[in-house]
Amino acid sequence: MFSIPSLAILIPALPLAAALVTAAFGPRVLRGRSHVPVITALALAFVASAILLGRIATSPDFRSLQDFGSLETRHGYQRIVTLWTWAAVPGMEIGGRRSEVGGEGSGLRGQVCDGAFSGRACPPLPTPNASPDFRVTIALRADPLTAVMLVTVTFVSLLVAVYSVGYMHGDPGYWRFFTYIGLFVFSMTMLVSASNFVLLYAFWEAVGLCSYLLIGFWYQKPEAAAAGKKAFLVNRVGDFGFALGIFLIWTTYGTLDFHDTMTGSGVVSPGVLGEWRLAEPGRFAGGTVGTAICLLLLLGACGKSAQLPLHVWLPDAMEGPTPVSALIHAATMVTAGVYMLARCGPLFAVSPDAQYVVAAVGGLTALVAAVIAFTQNDLKRILAYSTISQLGYMFLAMGVGTASGTVAGMFHLVTHAFFKGLLFLGAGSVMHAMAGVIDIRRLGGLRRRMPVTCVTFLIGSLALAGVVPLAGFWSKDAILAALHERASGGQAAAFYQGLYWLALATAAMTAFYAFRAFFIVFLGPEKVPPEAEEHPEKTSPWMAVPLVLLAVATIDVGMRLERTGSLERFLERAPGEEGRGEKGEGRVWQMRRDGDAERGAVAIQASFSPSPLSPLPSPHSPHLQIALWSTIASVAGIALAWLMYLGPPGAKRRLGGWMEAVGLYRLSAGKFYFDQVYEVLVVWPLQGVASAAAWLDRVVIDGLVDLVGTAPRAVGALLRPTQGGLIPIYALAMIVGVLVLLGTLLASGL
Amino acid sequence: MTDPHRILLAAAVLGGMAVWLLLPRRKGGGIALGGALGAVSLGLTAAALPGLADWLAQSLFWLLGGMTVVSAAWAVTLRNPVYCAIWFGMSLLGVSGLFFFQGAQFLAVATVVVYAGAILVMFLFILMLASASGRARYDRVSLEGLLSAACAAFLVGVLSIAVTGSLHSPKLDSSSAGIPQAQRQQGVLAAEHTKQIGRQLFGRYLVAVEVAGTLLLAALVGAAVIVGHARGPLVGPRATDPETAGGPRHG
Amino acid sequence: MADGELELLNGYLVVGAILFGLGMVGFLSRRNMITVFLAAEIMLQGISLSLTAWGRYHNDFGGQMLALLMIAVAACEAAVALALVLMLYQRKGSLDLFLWQDLREESVPRHIDRELPEALPEEPPAWPRLTPAGLSPEIPPEQTGYRPHV
Repeated sequence: MFSIPSLAILIPALPLAAALVTAAFGPRVLRGRSHVPVITALALAFVASAILLGRIATSPDFRSLQDFGSLETRHGYQRIVTLWTWAAVPGMEIGGRRSEVGGEGSGLRGQVCDGAFSGRACPPLPTPNASPDFRVTIALRADPLTAVMLVTVTFVSLLVAVYSVGYMHGDPGYWRFFTYIGLFVFSMTMLVSASNFVLLYAFWEAVGLCSYLLIGFWYQKPEAAAAGKKAFLVNRVGDFGFALGIFLIWTTYGTLDFHDTMTGSGVVSPGVLGEWRLAEPGRFAGGTVGTAICLLLLLGACGKSAQLPLHVWLPDAMEGPTPVSALIHAATMVTAGVYMLARCGPLFAVSPDAQYVVAAVGGLTALVAAVIAFTQNDLKRILAYSTISQLGYMFLAMGVGTASGTVAGMFHLVTHAFFKGLLFLGAGSVMHAMAGVIDIRRLGGLRRRMPVTCVTFLIGSLALAGVVPLAGFWSKDAILAALHERASGGQAAAFYQGLYWLALATAAMTAFYAFRAFFIVFLGPEKVPPEAEEHPEKTSPWMAVPLVLLAVATIDVGMRLERTGSLERFLERAPGEEGRGEKGEGRVWQMRRDGDAERGAVAIQASFSPSPLSPLPSPHSPHLQIALWSTIASVAGIALAWLMYLGPPGAKRRLGGWMEAVGLYRLSAGKFYFDQVYEVLVVWPLQGVASAAAWLDRVVIDGLVDLVGTAPRAVGALLRPTQGGLIPIYALAMIVGVLVLLGTLLASGL
Repeated sequence: MTDPHRILLAAAVLGGMAVWLLLPRRKGGGIALGGALGAVSLGLTAAALPGLADWLAQSLFWLLGGMTVVSAAWAVTLRNPVYCAIWFGMSLLGVSGLFFFQGAQFLAVATVVVYAGAILVMFLFILMLASASGRARYDRVSLEGLLSAACAAFLVGVLSIAVTGSLHSPKLDSSSAGIPQAQRQQGVLAAEHTKQIGRQLFGRYLVAVEVAGTLLLAALVGAAVIVGHARGPLVGPRATDPETAGGPRHG
Repeated sequence: MADGELELLNGYLVVGAILFGLGMVGFLSRRNMITVFLAAEIMLQGISLSLTAWGRYHNDFGGQMLALLMIAVAACEAAVALALVLMLYQRKGSLDLFLWQDLREESVPRHIDRELPEALPEEPPAWPRLTPAGLSPEIPPEQTGYRPHV
């Protein structure tokens, strides 16, 4: 019914249209019904995403990939939809012939055509002395990676929007909230659909902007405004690195498109992540330049996904409304960094140093965030640090460098979106019922008051802890498996082994703090703050239904995906995933031009054939041992939490005392003093510079301008006494003038 | 600068100082010194001027000129405004004498009749009505005396130097330099002077005469309008002073 | 130049300049309105002298004509000026020029006189002693022969 290009266009367009309608008609016309356009658009977008996923999965090219073991025909799938050309600047050439790309250590010297293009002209590469064409098109892509992200994003967005109807009911900025939500979903869907770096960066910034708008939604509250500002600025640091990385990509590869494009004369201009480049791993820039590119991209991802040391904005971002925290800071925006790492996987594949850094950053972040979450007293902040920790897991998975690692990371992204979203919405429900109190020291035993929330929060916590058979178990297991496989041989095996044990330990800590929160808030004696007693609020069905649906998804999706292995195989057929075997080897591709053009969209379909180089690895081998270890870790964490918070009182004191003795308690409660370090290193110098600049502007520059203004006044004051009102003085002045004239005339000889 | 010029310059400077000293000042005094300086200045001027044909004409010219200048000086510097007006009349007589000396008899008589007879009398009328006979403060203090005296000295000095210098320079207009006296006897110095005046007035300068007549009419009407709307009797110190109000004492 | 016309001209011009200068001094420095106008008239006289001198020198009646017309103009001017002075005197009761300073700029202070060092004694007005009409004066007996005054 709908073609893939039109679906790809429709999915971002619907939320955008809804946002515009809500912005235009919200304040006057819609008011309390401002949620209608956005929820309708999100529902339709979700349906479209599901259809898109189905179409990609069942498309003829794709289907042939389902034959395992048959290495004859292996196809990847991608479909590019180009809307219009945003910028086209022709490049300059020297002598009419372009030579190879420059830069020592880039590894792209000595490129020759290898017959893969069967008679067509070789694709030109950029030269150091001539600039290539700068051509940026608004191009969307539909491939498995994008489809997965789209489904996740639209599903969670829809549920959060439905939840917000109940949560934000009666808020004066009701329409503004839904406008921003629509804008955000548009930006996020465009981000994952973008097929070139410029568009990716543009919507990267756009989601940052929406995050700022939504964090500071209650802008009259100074903490919220400050938190929004902090989020934007810290993101900016990461975006700066991202931009530098894009510049470097441009100078190295000569293009910013992901996909290959056919120029008019039949010559193929290879994209950064296009099929031509994926044919040989040597066609990517390795060495210093490649590592530099990857590290800069990593910086961008760290900023957006709140990794060390740019994680400081995420806990403060909890000042925003809880649906915002659920949507943006658990499920979608912070996963943009992970998505970008997955998309740029081939770039990382040729730069092992960058991979180590990614893994190290991820592991360290996971550990530190988990430790900090031990001592937090604000439920939302516990969940925020939990998000940081889980994102660290995803980075860890991306840093493994293999196809299964990337798939595991994406799997965890999807499941994390569900259960973290669930946890946040549950926390929001608690906040809503307890009149805004979210300090767990003031709450207790809420299971009788809020049974639905209690059960769904339990499910979410179990998923977070990684208890079988919930979604979190399967995805965390996949990550551990990937780590283990990587550590079993090849380069830097010991490094990855250490990371594996780190991941296990962090899993135990995750279980501990998750159930610490659950036990304190929902179990034990009932403790309700007095302000909640005055206004008992029942959880509305708008809020309850999304909780239930997310709980169902948490239970169901993980198991289904893992049992069928379909996600793995689905994602593996995304271009870029295929290009990397177990140890980073490449395959040879062939390109076939597809001639059909649908409704003005230019489509390039690619089909690939493998070479009999290395066998496909079996995806299910040593899982049992890993599953066992991870379950032991989870159960240990839960047991420790039970002991401390629901068991005999002495245990808590003993264990807490031990932690304090080690000095860990103060470090953890102080959030490892990151904020204070930043304050001294960054904020104070900037404030000093700003004060100096303000002083300069106010005193020197304004003083100069005022001085210019006082000059006429001074001259006037000087001349004013001549107008004294005494007529003889006027006559005297006249006569003096005449005499001066007379003297001048006589002196000049007249 | 030749000799006469230097003398004239000195005369101008001295004259300026003399006038300043003679003007009514807060500190008072200095009148004797001013008079002496004035006399010296006049003497220097007379010495610097080139001599006339014979001694009679020369002395007559000096007498008349000196009388005019001294009267004008006193008319400007005395404190009592009535005395100023009287000395102004004296200077008018001197100017009239100078006109006679030059052969402009009609003008001389007209000056006396119109100026001294009508305008001066009008001044005196107003002074009688309004003046405080020199006792008021404003009659005894002058404003910016030094600067105005300096300006006047500069002006007079420059003019006299320029005149004396240029009249004896070779660049003089040759058309008038050689006008023989006989021609003058036919023209400006003719015996039938008034006839000549009449012929000129109503011949060559008729339009000017008509314009002057219109101007006189306008002035008449204007003055009548300005004063015609006077509010009540004139206010003055004599009118308001209860002791001096009214007229002379009776009995 | 044997006939002395040039010297005559020179003398008249210098005298005219001196008269003009004196008139200028009086115009600029006196405070009584009448005296100021008087000084303006003196200036006009000086100009008339110069005009007639030039007229005689150039054998042209124009000098005398212009001087005559200047008398007419001076008369008009005096009439109107004295009418105005009279009106000003009616408003303020004094002939002082310093009372009229309202044309000055707003921020310039009014010119205020400093006190004079000496004050003239107030003399009572001296009226002439006249004999009443219709009566013969009283003659003291020692003055029947001669009278020192009437």
